[in-house]
Amino acid sequence: MAERERPAFAEMVESLPDPVLVVAAQDPDDSAGRRLVFANAAARELLRIQAQGGPLVSAIRHPRVLEAVDESLFGGANGEAAWETGGAQDRFWRVLTRPLETAPDGARLALVVLRDETDSRRNERMRADFLANASHELRTPLASLTGFIETLRGHARDDAVARERFLGVMAAQAARMARLIDDLMSLSRIELNEHIAPEGRLDVVLVVLDVIDALAPLAAERGVKLSPKLVERGVATITGDRDQILQVAQNLIDNAAKYSPAGGVVEIEVKAGLTAEAAIAVSRPGAARLSLLSPDLVGGERFVALKVTDHGPGIAREHLPRLSERFYRVEGQKSGERLGTGLGLAIVKHIINRHRGGLAIESVEGQGTTFTAYLPQL
Amino acid sequence: MNEPWVKSSGDLVESLVAEVARLGGLAEAQIADCVDAVTRRDVPLAQAVVARDVKLDALQADIERRAIDLIATRQPTGRALRRSVAALKIAMNLERCGDLARNIAKRSLVLSESEPLTPLTRSIERMGRLVAGRLKEVLDAYTAGELDKATGVWVRDEEVDEHYNSLFRELLTYMMGDPRTIAPGAHLLFIAKNLERIGDHATNIAEIIHFEITGDVMSGERPKWDSLQRRSDTLKEEG
Ligand SMILES: Nc1ncnc2c1ncn2[C@@H]1O[C@H](COP(=O)(O)OP(=O)(O)OP(=O)(O)O)[C@@H](O)[C@H]1O
Ligand SMILES: [Mg+2]
Repeated sequence: MAERERPAFAEMVESLPDPVLVVAAQDPDDSAGRRLVFANAAARELLRIQAQGGPLVSAIRHPRVLEAVDESLFGGANGEAAWETGGAQDRFWRVLTRPLETAPDGARLALVVLRDETDSRRNERMRADFLANASHELRTPLASLTGFIETLRGHARDDAVARERFLGVMAAQAARMARLIDDLMSLSRIELNEHIAPEGRLDVVLVVLDVIDALAPLAAERGVKLSPKLVERGVATITGDRDQILQVAQNLIDNAAKYSPAGGVVEIEVKAGLTAEAAIAVSRPGAARLSLLSPDLVGGERFVALKVTDHGPGIAREHLPRLSERFYRVEGQKSGERLGTGLGLAIVKHIINRHRGGLAIESVEGQGTTFTAYLPQL
Repeated sequence: MNEPWVKSSGDLVESLVAEVARLGGLAEAQIADCVDAVTRRDVPLAQAVVARDVKLDALQADIERRAIDLIATRQPTGRALRRSVAALKIAMNLERCGDLARNIAKRSLVLSESEPLTPLTRSIERMGRLVAGRLKEVLDAYTAGELDKATGVWVRDEEVDEHYNSLFRELLTYMMGDPRTIAPGAHLLFIAKNLERIGDHATNIAEIIHFEITGDVMSGERPKWDSLQRRSDTLKEEG
């Protein structure tokens, strides 16, 4: 390759997708003296580094990472550490450090490379969770199916009435197993992509209207009225995955309808232009309230909020933090004819987190519940 | 490099801030590890947390000495003075967080001797994450000098309380239902209380950052979720 066509090293490192840093230091006892003399674009974005030459600790302060860096700076050896960024979009990194040649001014130098291991860590955990959950949750319906098959082979063999009834129950159990698998797959998929921000554009009002149309017949069957109060079209636009936001609205509204008494009303509200505080402002005075998920805020964000209010049995305070746990269902609550999987709210929470939004709940026992999902507005 | 006695006061302030960030990193790691020790019933990890606490104490003492020295000998004014005072105060809050983490680790050692209360440890894990997240945000705000981010933490102060309240109820239900869970339940309760107090320290730090940057004490109402029945503050922690 001709000399002039070869890109400069700095330029190449600058555009590497992995974060790369060079740390310089003179004195092992001066922790402020470990300075970032170079950070490529990926590193500047991840560590929110504004200017070169700042202290290393203002970018990374985890003791294990600092030790690994020291290993290369002052021990002349390669170092390695695992690092979790923490926060709502948790990411896992492997930090590798290498000693570099001492600079002309006598400063010791070390190269620091961060390798993103979020995907493999998630995959690993997801696979383990999926297997554990699926095998545990499928066991009950499977056992009951097996029981019925035995009965049908045995003393119910010639009883036409019993046979019909049992087959009905078996069909319901099989349907529940299918739902469980669907929900689990859906949850796994969402969790895998949770750290990747969505790309589409959508109007929350239109999505909510679609969900209302779809759920209206079911609600009518239960004698429940869906009462929307929405901002104008085109106002509540967000960056998001339409199918997923649909799933959020559908789960929250379905729950509200499911836990409403016959003749009850479910109020569905969409608001826009709210601050995070305004989005979770009290809407049910006297209620037990809890934020199940809150976004990392930088300041100045505006949110679109979807509020779903029912006048059902409500949820006692001690159950609130666990609602978005997988398979968690409030004990002794009758959920009507269709037994849920207890995955609905877990799915909702993960979708909202992927969209960098929040989820709050307010509930009064015996009076009803309000769920508020809020998402960053475009 | 310059020898310490020719360092400018600006350099001295900056190295103080860097030491505070390092102390912050140590405190964060202690908190993450003590919560892991509880949820995974990891005895060696708990012992490591207890043993590491002296490092935080030493670093805090060092920061304190250097800050006082700096203020006395260089007599900084304005932002530099506020920055030095803030470093001193934040370090004290972080050192307290470390003590609370050590305390949690000690309790996890006791807990690992009784039957696990799995759903409750999950609630502790959740609360631990929340509190660790708040401390992370506030320390990020500190190192980047971002006022809005600090205010964001301050404003959402009640979130930890809500989790504590729910956990309190959950634990009570458990302990009343099965007397065998009373002893481990009480330890979990104190662990939750300690986590809540770490959350309070994060709020304090947010206030200190606000003072450091603006020179004003934070004012205005936090959005109190006032309908919450305040829990009885009869729980006393022996430290
Ligand atoms: N609006 C509500 N009113 C009262 N309880 C509710 C409400 N929404 C949810 N819950 C409680 O939270 C639990 C979890 O809800 P989630 O949507 O995750 O599961 P589900 O409705 O049981 O099943 P599905 O997966 O079919 O939605 C429910 O079982 C119910 O106990
Ligand atoms: Mg549901």
